[in-house]
Amino acid sequence: MLLPRSDSIHPNFNQDLQRFLFGREYQIDELPFPEDMIRQHVRKGLIALRRGVEAVDDGLFSLLLGSRRWVCRRCGNSDPGLFGSCACGRCRKSCVYCRRCLNMGVVRSCTELATWVGPEPVRQPVTPGGNGGLCEWTGTLSGEQAAAAAELVRCLNEGHSFLIWAVTGSGKTELMFPAIEYALLRGERVVLTTPRTDVVRELFPRMKASFPSVPVSALYAGSEDRIPDAPLVISTTHQLIRFHRCFDRVFIDEVDAFPFHFDPMLEYAVQKAAKEGAPFAYLSATPPPRLKNAYLRGDLKGTKIARRFHGHPLPVPLFCWAGNWKKSVAQGFLPPAMLKWIKGKMEAGIQIFLFVPSVSLLRELTELLQREALDHVAGVHAEDPDRHVKVTLFREGRIRILVTTTILERGVTVPAVEAAVFGADDPVFDERALVQIAGRVGRSPEYPAGDVVFFHNGRTLEMVRARRHIEQMNEEGGF
Amino acid sequence: MNGTHCLICGGIRQDPLTVRTLLLAGTDPGFCKNCRRKLAPIDLDDCCASCGRDLRLIDKSFVSGSVCSDCRNWAKSGRNGLFGRNRSLFTYNEWMKEIITMFKFRGDALLAEGFRTEFRSVYRKLKGSGWENLRDWLKTGERRAAGVKYIIVPIPLSKERLQERGFNQAVLLAELLGEPLTHALVRPGSERKQSKKNRRERLMIRKNPFLFNEEAAGSISGHKVLLIDDIYTTGATLRFAAGALEAAGPQRIDSLTLAHG
Repeated sequence: MLLPRSDSIHPNFNQDLQRFLFGREYQIDELPFPEDMIRQHVRKGLIALRRGVEAVDDGLFSLLLGSRRWVCRRCGNSDPGLFGSCACGRCRKSCVYCRRCLNMGVVRSCTELATWVGPEPVRQPVTPGGNGGLCEWTGTLSGEQAAAAAELVRCLNEGHSFLIWAVTGSGKTELMFPAIEYALLRGERVVLTTPRTDVVRELFPRMKASFPSVPVSALYAGSEDRIPDAPLVISTTHQLIRFHRCFDRVFIDEVDAFPFHFDPMLEYAVQKAAKEGAPFAYLSATPPPRLKNAYLRGDLKGTKIARRFHGHPLPVPLFCWAGNWKKSVAQGFLPPAMLKWIKGKMEAGIQIFLFVPSVSLLRELTELLQREALDHVAGVHAEDPDRHVKVTLFREGRIRILVTTTILERGVTVPAVEAAVFGADDPVFDERALVQIAGRVGRSPEYPAGDVVFFHNGRTLEMVRARRHIEQMNEEGGF
Repeated sequence: MNGTHCLICGGIRQDPLTVRTLLLAGTDPGFCKNCRRKLAPIDLDDCCASCGRDLRLIDKSFVSGSVCSDCRNWAKSGRNGLFGRNRSLFTYNEWMKEIITMFKFRGDALLAEGFRTEFRSVYRKLKGSGWENLRDWLKTGERRAAGVKYIIVPIPLSKERLQERGFNQAVLLAELLGEPLTHALVRPGSERKQSKKNRRERLMIRKNPFLFNEEAAGSISGHKVLLIDDIYTTGATLRFAAGALEAAGPQRIDSLTLAHG
């Protein structure tokens, strides 16, 4: 049998182009293929082109007023404040461009986006291992987990989306394995996506170890584990924006994490990356209202796991009034109630996560704590260049108090840690954030309990809701 | 366009409430206080009289008579020709570098709008208001006509580069002035990007990359010309441009750039 040479033109189309462009959407000049070759394929109806930025038809009224709304086809942006226009050097007219997805290369109204609409490329089927399966994870699922996993497989096969609402530390990741394995065996393309880079970096080695015979590709900014055409893709939601009708199944971990529910672009990216009618599996400890309500109404299938895998209840947060904390930090002293709590924990040799609402407060507070002659205090925030180093040091126990913004509210597991929120009444801390923060504590079977204290200046509805959420989950878990 | 959000960080601008902002229906697009604070504006009264460099930032030993040593070298080299002075709005610090990257290389053309007010006010100063001219006259006895208009010439891009970038950043900046532009220069070649060369390489080049556009000859002759560009680095580009214009016989050639560094 003759193997096709990589540069050979198939009677109908170029296979490299097909493989490159299938399930993706690129600007024509981004493609590493000559333009006339692309035009040929367009004429044959194998590649579809559309404008990058298009005017939305708003009906007669806006036509009369002469106002025009635009929509970016790559990122779904339709906010009139996020478009700019300038005299375009290419089309010699005034051209509108999208400002939201600029960092992926500018998309103008004269830009053409290309996607493959011809036949799907044939892929090597994944070969099952000795036990007839692909998953070589050796752990066992608890009864609750196994039931949820079976339900997930069943629903996705029927083409329904599914919500797994499981408390923090209940082993959500392992729950997905049967469903992922099933899809891979059928030769489908699966993506596991999450808004946070840290979570992708944590998931990737776990997935690779669990599915050793499957090519796994990890997509995040700066990733070195990109495998083209991998059947299993682990990706940040940002990276999915380049995909177009590619995946048969989509798993979204931490659906509610920032910035997913703040940024409509990411929602659009995920929707665009999935094939039409592909089922979604959502995983979260604190589902956003839209999904939660759909589940409670019965529109969205799902399951709830109210018990941690080690079988202990979730730690319930305590409220502690700390006075006007903003003012006291500005005046250079710590609220006495908090200082007392921290000193007590330090003497007991317990590590502390201290969450603060803003980066400026983080700096001041870290300095204050250091001045209180407490050793091994460090602050970490999103733009901190030493972020990963500090988190590692904290894990190793060499940093005793880690002051942080909400970036570490999920994904980080440190065995015997206790948590406090400084300024829990700040609007940054909503119910979901507070529940996630409380979920940092007591995750290991050896240390299943611990303090979670919200230091506040007047309790807010969000704080009360967070506590009620946790209590309710504990109740449902049978405590 | 929506002017309540910062063009760079997208945050709410929170400009102080004044009668003006209260009464005007919309605000012009611009930057928030935080993003603006990171810029390093150049004080026009304390800059190199020739190139517009912020003199506070360099050692006093490099300055004599409010002219920096680079400019003295240029004067000695005899390549100045009709090129008079340059003025820049900001020092090219890390933040400015980031903004220019976003503006020029990422293609966020709207960012230019954020510099509109500064650009215009520096232009007015360069042009000289009637009052200032009167003061100068009393001081020096040299009389100038009030606010003589400049012929504004943006530094062109080569066709290739314009195709690639989609717009000419100098034209966008020049348009901020709200005066008619004269495209008196063309750049036929396709040399390497200036930003990819080091200082020595830039100064070594002796072949002028610009050509004079004959059609504009009439409007240039005998007038003051103001060249517009995004960055003044070594001053080589602007002097080449000035050199290409000399044939048309302008009265003098000055330049205005967004950044200096």
